[in-house]
This record gives sequence, structure tokens and C-alpha cells, in this order.
Amino acid sequence: MAFLTVIQEHFWGFFRATGLTLQLTAVSLALAVVIGLLFAFLKLSNNRVANVVADAYIGLTRGLPLIVQLMFLYFGISSIVVLSSFWAGSLALAFHAGGYVAEIFRGAIQNIDRGQTEAARSLGMSPRKAMRLIVLPQAFRRAIPSLGNQFIIGLKDSTLVAYLGVPELFSNAMTAAAANYKPFETYLVAGMYYLVLVVIFTWMVNKLEVRLTPHRQEATR
Amino acid sequence: MSVIDIKGLHKHFGDLHVLKGIDLTVESGEVVVIIGPSGSGKSTLLRCLNFLEYPDEGSVKVNGEIIDPATSDLDKVRRHMGMVFQHFQLFPHKNVLHNVTIAPVNVLGLSQKKANAVARNLLAKVGLPDKEKAWPSQLSGGQKQRVAIARALAMDPDIMLFDEVTSALDPELVNEVLQVMQEMAAGGMTMVAVTHEMGFAREVADRVIMMADGLIIEEGTPKQVFEAPREERTRTFLSQIL
Repeated sequence: MAFLTVIQEHFWGFFRATGLTLQLTAVSLALAVVIGLLFAFLKLSNNRVANVVADAYIGLTRGLPLIVQLMFLYFGISSIVVLSSFWAGSLALAFHAGGYVAEIFRGAIQNIDRGQTEAARSLGMSPRKAMRLIVLPQAFRRAIPSLGNQFIIGLKDSTLVAYLGVPELFSNAMTAAAANYKPFETYLVAGMYYLVLVVIFTWMVNKLEVRLTPHRQEATR
Repeated sequence: MSVIDIKGLHKHFGDLHVLKGIDLTVESGEVVVIIGPSGSGKSTLLRCLNFLEYPDEGSVKVNGEIIDPATSDLDKVRRHMGMVFQHFQLFPHKNVLHNVTIAPVNVLGLSQKKANAVARNLLAKVGLPDKEKAWPSQLSGGQKQRVAIARALAMDPDIMLFDEVTSALDPELVNEVLQVMQEMAAGGMTMVAVTHEMGFAREVADRVIMMADGLIIEEGTPKQVFEAPREERTRTFLSQIL
């Protein structure tokens, strides 16, 4: 069977490429969380300039196709500083996901009852302390399902970095399919890799959600 | 000495004129109960006392010092004023002990060990010595409110503000909270309470203030206000609620 042959031929090659896919995803999403949190605060701030900056950023990341952003940032950034395609790709993916993550954090923070902040302030906490100790921990827990979703999208979006020449999983599949003339089987195998990653990832996110929510967990005992 | 001294306090929410010139002095150790129909501005007045709402006009003196929201350190002012809310507002991601210790540790700079000792003492006082490891979601409303009281007391405040703290409770849980408040009053705590619990007002208050339409329309001892109200609106209100 052609399918089994493809698996046999490419299992280890794809396996190694998967490592690169995971690195791309991890780096870009870690950056996206930092960027997202920053822009969520800009959007929630009372400063009009900050609001406009956040709106412009979120509008750009959501309004442009990812491949356009990737190409633009890759050629844009590498004309200014020398960057490997891996880092250019990671930064572009982070830039893109950051807009969505910002909206996730903004929604989660706004959904925390105002009374929580008032209670914290009534105890003498500064706005910063109230945010750090009371609002953010609760907002972060509530954001986990949406963040997990966004991370899965990020993992799949990393395939587009193949067009920057990063030899990640999808790029490997394209090369293999062009060489073995079995695109159907080859992409099927690559697809299985992604599917397994997503399943593992979903499981981890669910675990994290339960783990970070001790009060809810115990309440249902 | 007066803990709180406000003069000519006004507060608007947009076009709504909620407080229309309030004068109020609260002496140290005094228990003041504010009553009145809903929408009369009771809660807003209370929230102006610790600047959860900023007054639009008038002066607020706390412990003899004029507080200006624009220039005063409100965090510092609030440290000396405990507040308990209608809907508890315990921190759901912290267990009971940490709800009580989070402010002493992070605001006053107490060590966790010392704060724990303070908190355990207070939890025993409010009748919850065995609940320190529980999560807020595992407590009844009355228990939550008693933890909220312990949390406010952990800051060792000069005055306690109570904003309809029994209104969200099932009837059978009201007394356990009122009892804690009564003990605090007996212990000499300065208190301002907005409440519909007339029994509590009658027994515990030194002074009852009747508010309507953003004004204090009548004040006096519980005996005066409940038994011989001067104002028609007080009589109507009391007849509806008693």
C-alpha cells in the first residue's frame, strides 16, 4: 500500500520536522501572549492614544490575511535586520496571533465583576495590585478555553511559514510529495501528525483548566 | 474625635442628581445606621465615604484630614476603612485564609505567618475557625459574608462600612451576620451601616439616619426615629417596611 510506504519513508523525517513546528508554535504563542496582554491593557486604558494604537494593531492583524502579514513582515523585517527565516516566521505568527490574544484577554478582564476590583481597592490595594492579585488571575483562568482554541489555530497557522523556507512539517510534506508523486498519501500522513498534535494539545489545555480552577473543582465534589 | 466629617456632599451620575447636599459626622465608636427607600442615595453616600465614588462637591474629612481625590493618597485612606458589600465579593481564586490575608500581606507588608495568625484569630471571632482551607464557592451566603467581615477587619480599620450586607442572604442566614456586627459594635468599632434590618438598627444603632431623594430628611436615636418620626416620609417608609 502506497500509504504505508509513505509512512515508512517519511516517518522520521516528518517526526523531526514536527519538532520545528512545535518550536515555531511555542515561540510564537509565548510572544503572542505577551503582545496580547500588552495590547489588551492599551485597549482597556483610559488613554485615547493607547486605545487608537490598540485598535489599529488589532484591526491590522485581524483584517489582513496571515500569508500577507507573513510575507510583509518577513521581507520587511529582513530588509532592516538580518533574521533567520525561523525567527522571522515566529515573529510574524506572534504578531498575527497577538491581535486575537489581545481581544481574548480584554474580554476576560472586562468580564470580571467590577465588584472584585472595588473589594480589592476598598482593602487599600493600588489599581496595579488589584489588577495583578485579583483581576488577572481570574481573567487568565477564564481565558484558558479561548486561549487554547487560539493556540490550536496558531499551530495550524504555522504551516504557512513553509512559504518562508522554514523546513517545518508542512514544508517537508510539500517537498516529499513533489519527489514521490504521491501527494494524497503524503498529505494524509502530514495531516495525521497535525491531528495528533491538536488532540494532545487539547488534552493539555483541559488539564490546565482543571488544575488552575481549584475552587470550581472542589465545589462540585 | 470624629472619624468622618462631611459637609455639603453632592454626587451626580450623568443627569441624575443622587446626593443633594449631605452633612454627616460620625464620632469614634459610634454606630450609625442609614435607612431609606431604594434610590434614595444610601449606598452612594457610603461609597463616597471611602471614595469608591468621588464626590462632585463638598468636603470629606477622615480622621480630621480633608481628603481630595485628586491629590490625596486614597489607597492609604481606604486602608483605615473596611467595607463589606451586599454581594460579598470574596476572591474566588483564593481560599478563605488567603482572602483574609491577601491585603495585610500585600498592602501592609505583614509576613504571611503573622497575617495567618491575625486571620485565624478573626475567623474564630466570626465563628468560622474551621473554614480556613475552604474555597468561597463552598460556603453559604452567611459564611461568605462573615469571611468578608474578617477580611475587612484584618486591615485593622478605624471604621467599618456595611452596604446592605444581609440583603442577598436567605432569611435564616441573616442573624449569624447581624450577630457578628453586633459583637463588633459592642467592642467599640465605629460603624456606618446601610440596612433594611430595623431590628438591628433599633438594638445596635446609636443614631439612625433616614434618607430620601438624596437628602438626610431625619436623624436621631432609634427610639426617636422609630417611635416618634417627625417626617411624614419616614412614617410612610417605616409603615411599609415594618
